[in-house]
Amino acid sequence: MAQIISEKRDVEFVLHEQLEVGDFSKFEKFSAFNKKTIDMIIKEARKLAVDEIYPTVKEGDEVGCTFEGNGVVKIPESFVRVYNLLKDGEWTAMTEDPEWGGQGMPKSVALAASEYFNGANFPLMMYPGLTHGCGKLIESFGTEEQKAVYLKKVYTGEWCGTMLLTEPGAGSDVGALETVAIPQGDGTYKIKGQKIFISGGEQTQLSDNIIHPVLARIEGAPAGTKGISLFLVPKYRVNKDGSLGEFNDVTCTGIEHKMGIHGNCTCTLSLGEKDNCIGTLLGEENKGMAHMFLMMNEARQLVGLQGFACASASYLNAVNYAKERVQGADLTNPKAGGVAIINHPDVRRQLLIMKSYVEAMRSILYYLAMCYDKAETAENEDEKAMWEGLAEILTPIGKGYVTDKAFEVCSHGMQVYGGYGFIEEYPQAQLLRDCRITMIYEGTNGIQAMDLLGRKLGMKKGKLFMDLSAQIAKTIGEAKKVDGVADLAGKVETVLNKLGEVAMHLGKTAMSEKVKTAFAFAHPFMEATGDVCAAWMLLWRATIAQQNLGKKKKEDIFYNGLIKSAQYFINSVLPVTMGKMQAILDNDSATVEIDEASFVS
Amino acid sequence: MEILVCVKNVPDTGEEEIELDGNDLDYDELTYVVNEWDNYAVEEAIQIADKVGGNVTVITVGNEDADEVLRREMAMGAGNAIHLEDEAFEKSDAKGVATILKAAVDKGKYDLILTGAQADAGYGAVGGMLAAMLDYPYASLVNKIEVGSGKLTVGREIEGGNTEMNEIELPCVLSIQTGINEPRYVGIKGIKQVSGVDIPKFAASDLGLDESSVGEEGAIVKRQDYFIPEAGEGAEMLEGSDDEIIAKLIEILKANGGL
Repeated sequence: MAQIISEKRDVEFVLHEQLEVGDFSKFEKFSAFNKKTIDMIIKEARKLAVDEIYPTVKEGDEVGCTFEGNGVVKIPESFVRVYNLLKDGEWTAMTEDPEWGGQGMPKSVALAASEYFNGANFPLMMYPGLTHGCGKLIESFGTEEQKAVYLKKVYTGEWCGTMLLTEPGAGSDVGALETVAIPQGDGTYKIKGQKIFISGGEQTQLSDNIIHPVLARIEGAPAGTKGISLFLVPKYRVNKDGSLGEFNDVTCTGIEHKMGIHGNCTCTLSLGEKDNCIGTLLGEENKGMAHMFLMMNEARQLVGLQGFACASASYLNAVNYAKERVQGADLTNPKAGGVAIINHPDVRRQLLIMKSYVEAMRSILYYLAMCYDKAETAENEDEKAMWEGLAEILTPIGKGYVTDKAFEVCSHGMQVYGGYGFIEEYPQAQLLRDCRITMIYEGTNGIQAMDLLGRKLGMKKGKLFMDLSAQIAKTIGEAKKVDGVADLAGKVETVLNKLGEVAMHLGKTAMSEKVKTAFAFAHPFMEATGDVCAAWMLLWRATIAQQNLGKKKKEDIFYNGLIKSAQYFINSVLPVTMGKMQAILDNDSATVEIDEASFVS
Repeated sequence: MEILVCVKNVPDTGEEEIELDGNDLDYDELTYVVNEWDNYAVEEAIQIADKVGGNVTVITVGNEDADEVLRREMAMGAGNAIHLEDEAFEKSDAKGVATILKAAVDKGKYDLILTGAQADAGYGAVGGMLAAMLDYPYASLVNKIEVGSGKLTVGREIEGGNTEMNEIELPCVLSIQTGINEPRYVGIKGIKQVSGVDIPKFAASDLGLDESSVGEEGAIVKRQDYFIPEAGEGAEMLEGSDDEIIAKLIEILKANGGL
C-alpha cells in the first residue's frame, strides 16, 4: 500500500536532518524530548492519523453538519470517537504547560503530529484546534480564577472552545463590530450581539460545555478597534464546584452551507437574545484587539498548516495515482502500448511542481514553529528577540504564501487525476474544496500581504527583514561550499539580492504619495518573498542531501529527489520570481489609476 | 497475576515498497513497528492485570532497535520490559527464539505467557515451542480469555469462523489472535514516562545459553527463498467509480456464467 497524508521520510528529514529538533532536549524545558522520544511520538501520531482520523474524512464531507432547529447542531457522528482518542492521547495541548494539562513539547515537534492529523481530516481537527486557541487566550490573559475554572478543562479537550470575532458588518474590519458588553457592577458583563462564521460554535457530541472568547465593545467605549474588549462567555455557566450551571443564553440560529470543510459546523451565534448572557472580561478593557493579535500569529500558522496538509495529501495521492493509471503510450515508444501516466513529461512536470512546493512549505512551517522553540531556549534577550522577529515576519509567508501555493498544489493534484479528479468519489476534489477556505479565513491572504508590507517589513527599522535575509544568506554560503549545489546557491543569491532591492523600493513607495500603488503590489511582494523562502528551504535541503549521497540505496533515492526539487524550483520557478520582482520595481500604477466605472462599463 | 508478553519488532511493510536482498527482505531499507498480533496480546495482558491485579512484563529478542518496541508497549501500559540482545541470537529460527525466551522465563516467575499468533517471518511456531519447552499447556489462535481461579477459559478461532471454548490450567502459554480486543493507542504522557526508563538486557551468557544452540548455527530450519509472487495472468483491475466498477463486475460475472 502506498503512503498517504504525508511522506514519512520527509517529515523525519525536516525534524532531524534539517532542523535537528532533538537538540532542544539539551534544555531543561524540553529535556523529555530526545530523538528517540520524538520519533515514538511522531510514529504514534501517524498511526492515529492513518488508522482513525483519515477514515472519517469522507463521511465528514458527505454527511456534514446539520442544523436541527432550536439551537441544536449535529456534527458527523464518526468525529466523536476520534475526538475522544485525541483527548485520551493528550494530543489536544501538546506544547502547553503541564501544569494546565499540556505536554510541554517543542512546537516544531508538535507540528509534525499536527501535520499528520490535519492531513487526515482538517475539518475535524478544527474542533481541537480552536479549543486550543481558546485555551491560549485564557492562559495568556485570564485571571487566576478564570484559569482555575476553565483552563485545564479546555486544554484537555473536556470542554471545547471557539473564537467569536466576525459579525455581519465586521469581517476584515473587526473595528466595526456592534456586540456590546454592559457592566453589571459585580465584575461581570451582560453580552448582547450576533456573531457569524463561528467554527465549532455549537455542538453537544464532543463536549458538555463550549467556551467562547468574544470580542465586544463595553458600553461607552471608543469606536473602532480601540474600544474593543475580550470576554469569556461559556455556553453554560460554571458553578463554584466546577459543575455546569444555567444555560448562558448563547444560541445557534443557523449554520452555513459551504464549499468545503463540511465536517466543521460554521455557526451563527446569538448572544443575549433573552438578555441573559453573562461574560467576564478576559485581559484588559479596550485591549481586546491587542490580546487577539497576540494569538493571531499562532492561529494563522495553524491555517497555513491546514492548507499545506491538504497539499501534502493531494501530492501523495497524485503520485500514487500516476504510478498506477495507464493511459497513452510513451512519447518515444508509441508502439509499445499504454504506460503509467507518470511516464508522460507533462504529468512529471506537475508532480515535480507539487513535490517542490510541498517540501518547501513543510520546511517553512516547521522552521517557523522552530523559531518559537529557539526563542524559548535563547541564551540572551537579543537572540530571543531575533527568533521572535523571524516568527513575526515569516507568519504572513506561512499563512498567505503557503495557502496560496497549497491551493495551486491541490489544483495540480486534481489535474493529474484527469476527469476522476473532478469526481467526488476520489479524494482530490474534497482536498481542493477544503483547502480553499485557508486562503480566506484568519485574515485573507490580501490582509496577510498587507501585514507583511505594512507592519512586518518596517518593524524595528527593517531588522526583521534583514535578519531573515541573513539566515537565507547563511544557507547560501554553506551551499556554495558543496559541489553539486553550488551553482544553485549562486542563483538563489541573485534572487535574494533582488528581493532586498524590491523591499527597499516598496518600503519607500509605501511611505510616499504612491502608497496605494505600493499596496497594490503587496501580494506580489508576499509571493516573491515566499518564493525566495521556498528556494532557501529547498537549497538547504539539497545541500544536506548532496552530502549524504552514496550511503544507502533507498536513501539515495530520497536524497536525489530533494536535489531535483531544488533544481526544478531554482531553475524553473525563480526566473518567474525575478520577473515578478521586476514588475514591482517598475511600479506600474494601473491598478490604482483605473476608474472604478471602467471595470465594467 | 504475573503476565509475560513476547513481542517482536517487525518491518513496517504496510505502506512501504519492500526490497529483496537474496533470500530475505532488505532489512536495511525498512522501518519497524511492533508486530500487530503482539500488540493485541499486550492489550489483553493489560486488561487482565487491570481486572484481577498483577503485573505485565514485555520481552523481546532483537537488536538495539527493538528497544523502541519495548518502550512503546510500556507506554501502552506494560509495567516492565526485558530485552534479550546478543549477536549470537541473530537469524535464530523459531526453535532458537523459543530457546532464548525459555531461558528468560526460567529466570522469572510468570503465571501466564502470551505471544502473538504469528509475526513477520517463520511459521507461527514460537508460542507452541515455548510451551513445549516449558512443559506448559498451550492454546493457539486465542480470541477470548476469561480468568478463573488457577485456570483460564479461552476461546479459540477454528475453521469456518467458529469458536471453541477450552479450560486451561495456569501457568500456560497462549498465542493471541487479532480481534480479541481493541488495542489502545499510545499517548504522549505514556511515551514521556518511559523515555528514560532503564530496560534490563540479557545476552546469551546471562541466560546460561550455549551460543551454538541459537542463532544461525542452531537453526534447523533455514529459509531457502523469499519473493513477492508475480501477479497471475488473467487478473484484471477494474477502474472507475464504485458504481462503474460494480456494473463492470456484474457484466463479467454474467458473461462467465457466475450469475
